[in-house]
Amino acid sequence: MRREVPLIITFVVGVIVLFANMFEGPLQAWSSELTGWLIIVSAFAVGLASVNLFRIHGTALMRMRPGWFNSLALIVALIVFAVIGTMARLGGDEKINNLNQNLYDSIIGPLGAAMFAMLAFYVASAAYRAFRMRSAEATVMLIAAILTMIGKAPIGELIWNKFPVIAEWLIDIPNTAGQRAIMIGAAIGAFATSLRILLGLERGHLGGAE
Amino acid sequence: MDFVSRLQNVDRRIIYILLILVTAVPMISPLNLPLSISPGTTEFFNIVDALEPGDTVLFSLDYAPSGAPDVHPIAAAVMEHLMDKGVNVVSVSFWDAGPMFGEQLMRHYEELGYEYGVHFANLGFVPGQETAIKRFGENVGTVSRDFRGNPVSSLPIMEGIKDTRDFALVIDFVAGNPGIQEWVRQVQGSLGITLLAGSSTVNVPQTMPFVDSGQVKAMLAGLRGAAEYELVMGKPGASVAKMDAQSLGHIVIILFIVVGNIAFFLDKKR
Repeated sequence: MRREVPLIITFVVGVIVLFANMFEGPLQAWSSELTGWLIIVSAFAVGLASVNLFRIHGTALMRMRPGWFNSLALIVALIVFAVIGTMARLGGDEKINNLNQNLYDSIIGPLGAAMFAMLAFYVASAAYRAFRMRSAEATVMLIAAILTMIGKAPIGELIWNKFPVIAEWLIDIPNTAGQRAIMIGAAIGAFATSLRILLGLERGHLGGAE
Repeated sequence: MDFVSRLQNVDRRIIYILLILVTAVPMISPLNLPLSISPGTTEFFNIVDALEPGDTVLFSLDYAPSGAPDVHPIAAAVMEHLMDKGVNVVSVSFWDAGPMFGEQLMRHYEELGYEYGVHFANLGFVPGQETAIKRFGENVGTVSRDFRGNPVSSLPIMEGIKDTRDFALVIDFVAGNPGIQEWVRQVQGSLGITLLAGSSTVNVPQTMPFVDSGQVKAMLAGLRGAAEYELVMGKPGASVAKMDAQSLGHIVIILFIVVGNIAFFLDKKR
């Protein structure tokens, strides 16, 4: 029964949502209700993830495992942000709201932006080392990348006014064609996988062995 | 190690230092490189400019701090245009970090005298990714309280808004998934809303097919899109200055790639 019940739920919910997209009628109201449930389940998943983080990093901290200070930083940040965020959401005063926003603007924002900015340096170094004309395919990719980079930068227009036109063409035509092919392929794959899940042939989402 | 081998293996610290220099200098002393306006930006501007005062636009803020340097300037530029025109803005987010960007945008205008709940509102984060987008798209009442804890039904800006068709426009500011694909798949297709995109540069290739098909009416692409929008508005700001730095950064990367390849060929010939 531990397997059959989730499979039946998956089938019934999947069929309702699938057919609600195809036919007018009461199924649409049921589908809308079910998607609302998923939002609630997703919210619980966030809570569950927080509990899990506490459990894993709390254990690492108590046993002073290597890197325990990272676990400490994570737990402190989790508590501080959760408490202040909750107080702000529950209608805290102006000071709490400002503190909540400032914590974000001064800590998470700059840290995230710094991580992203550091990527530029790694990308520059990696591009220099990896972009070599070793084969015809690599040469095509290299030329396309350089033309797009230079065409999208204002300085490219100063060098030659056709660079932006070439970059636009590369993005609009070959890129769009390739992306569309990938999307259609992925959609067909997703449909096939969904069908297998609905019919109970794919059981990976139930966890454990197949 | 001979010269050719050295050219193939330039110490990464040299690349880093050069990149820091060429990106930092234009930020301190802008070069004011000319920037042409792409047709997509003009189209985006025209669609927004055609809105009437009192219309309400939905911002879907689907990005995190990592993508913010590329996407947030677009949201800020479009917000400026909308506030100038007297168009109201409601924001929602399907990324947990999104609501804080909504607050950043709105607090600036609150300081200028605009009123929260009347000119703009932040509905916060809705968990559930693609399913949440579908649910919210069909029923805005999915969100009962805004990010500041107010009942959504008490906000004057939300009067008469039941689903996303009641917004004059929906603009997805996006740095990945869930984002534009999910909006097109779950809401634009079924409800026929007018959807625009403000996309991070790396996300542009994924968004282009939807722009090409007309499902996304227009797109602003990355920091350059923000800079172009500022110019079209006639209010050049921080994004325009940052484009100089991006230009020189690109040139340094291209130069290193070219040097690496020349050395590679010289080495192969020997």
